[in-house]
Amino acid sequence: MRSKPLTGTSPPRSARSIFLTAALVLLFALPFVLLALLAVAPAWRFPAALPAAYSLRALRDLLAADNELLAGLGRSVLLASVVASVATASGFWLARAIARAARPGRWEALSYLPYALPPVLLAVLIQPFIIRLRLSGSVGGVLLGLLLIAVPFATLLLRSFWTQQAREYEQLARTLGCTPRQALWQVLLPLAWPLLRTALFQTFLLAWFDFGLTNLLSVGKVRTLTVQVFTYVGEANAQLAAVASLLLLLPPALLLWANKRALLRKAD
Amino acid sequence: MLSKPRSSKLLLGLYGLLVAGLPLAGLCYALLGSLGLVGPLAAGFTGRYWRALGTDTGLLQAALFSLWVAGASLALAGGLALALVLGAQATLRRRPLPTLLYVPLLMPALVMGFYLFQLLSGAGWLSRLSFGLGLTPGVEGFPELVQDAAGVGIIMAHVLLLFPFFTLLFQAIYQESRLADYYQLAQTLGARPGQFRWRVAVPVLLRRAAPTLLLSGIATLGAYDIPLLLGRPYPQMLSVYIATRLQRFDLRELPAAYLAGFLVAVGLLGLILVLTRLTRRHAL
Repeated sequence: MRSKPLTGTSPPRSARSIFLTAALVLLFALPFVLLALLAVAPAWRFPAALPAAYSLRALRDLLAADNELLAGLGRSVLLASVVASVATASGFWLARAIARAARPGRWEALSYLPYALPPVLLAVLIQPFIIRLRLSGSVGGVLLGLLLIAVPFATLLLRSFWTQQAREYEQLARTLGCTPRQALWQVLLPLAWPLLRTALFQTFLLAWFDFGLTNLLSVGKVRTLTVQVFTYVGEANAQLAAVASLLLLLPPALLLWANKRALLRKAD
Repeated sequence: MLSKPRSSKLLLGLYGLLVAGLPLAGLCYALLGSLGLVGPLAAGFTGRYWRALGTDTGLLQAALFSLWVAGASLALAGGLALALVLGAQATLRRRPLPTLLYVPLLMPALVMGFYLFQLLSGAGWLSRLSFGLGLTPGVEGFPELVQDAAGVGIIMAHVLLLFPFFTLLFQAIYQESRLADYYQLAQTLGARPGQFRWRVAVPVLLRRAAPTLLLSGIATLGAYDIPLLLGRPYPQMLSVYIATRLQRFDLRELPAAYLAGFLVAVGLLGLILVLTRLTRRHAL
């Protein structure tokens, strides 16, 4: 077998390397190109390889006050932001309570339970209680379902912050005269900020990407962007489904761009 | 006002109710529902729905189809990621790949399903190109790649979502485990690159990534969005099968749906327990 470089040295870029990079760029860029073409093609029928006409109407309509897609975008942003904020804030305090509990391992194991089940199955299991609580078909029911997944996720993620060292910093701050509130705002939160940011980012995406749980618990009534994509696909309205899909990609792309430096530093 | 240990206990108690109480209560409800003891049309204890499992093979078919999709997706995505990390290490460290590999992670499963439908269906973009090039006579001549019996489209969607993630994971393990140094050492001791790959690198990467691979496999097993768009009414994947039965208008179908939900939840929990123990036993 021919020897291939496996080390971290950087020889000049070979033809194979250029081909591989180009193939991956094509593979990952094609979804965006196809979705963008669909979004501006009002009638793109078989066998045309490219749309016969282009129109920005669907995108312009987004700016109309009564636009359903724009309302869906707002609903999704609001829902994902509330889930991310509540899950991260409660995860921070729950992680501290678990760190101080008599048997932290048991609480950690318990936190994995909601992940063991697919979100749709979890929704199937909790749906009878959501109905009893009169939350079926409401934003509250969807919120409860999403928090059931997001809170343990944030708790497990933030558990790594509450080490002996963090407790010692807190005690030191108190010894030096800080009130509990000052110790929290001026010592603990700045120390935990990188992890808190990751928890916010991840729990936002968790809620943002969800379709199955939201659709089942809301009985299709809470029309988030993912629910709208599915509806438009069902109505064979590829143009609006593509516009909704592109809108769905926007916040994660912005979040990735904002966190790019941290992610790539980790990758290096 | 509550003292601090008491407030911590209260907080943990509420947390326990949310993360364990609610799903376990749901599991009990599903079990009781499958026995005819609870639910809108509950009329007392009956083993009818459990006995019907012997004749209705729908759940078994869904489980086997889900296992096939999850196994094939995991094997293909893992194989691709291993090939990239072990065969193109220098390319992976260069721009734009470190950033590029994060791009598919931005894509919700539903959008991936919609994109692949537009790309691979009979009237999709590839079919149009193939018609334009004279390779196929029309929509019918294009191979069935979505909503097919073997789940090719579903597997492709999962591979596209999983393999960049696995590549990033293997790459991080490759660097953390200093496999490049081990490669130099193995070469000095006379090992060929192939021997290093198969006897050192692959076992290290797979064992250290095993818990994440396991979780990804379980997530694929319970996938909903992609099989809903790219799958057929028969065979269905587990989540689609259960949700479809639950959403039927006939309330008499509910106990059977609860039974399916109960069995799948218990089966998945058991599977995770066994596989977690196995991966821990063989962990590095």
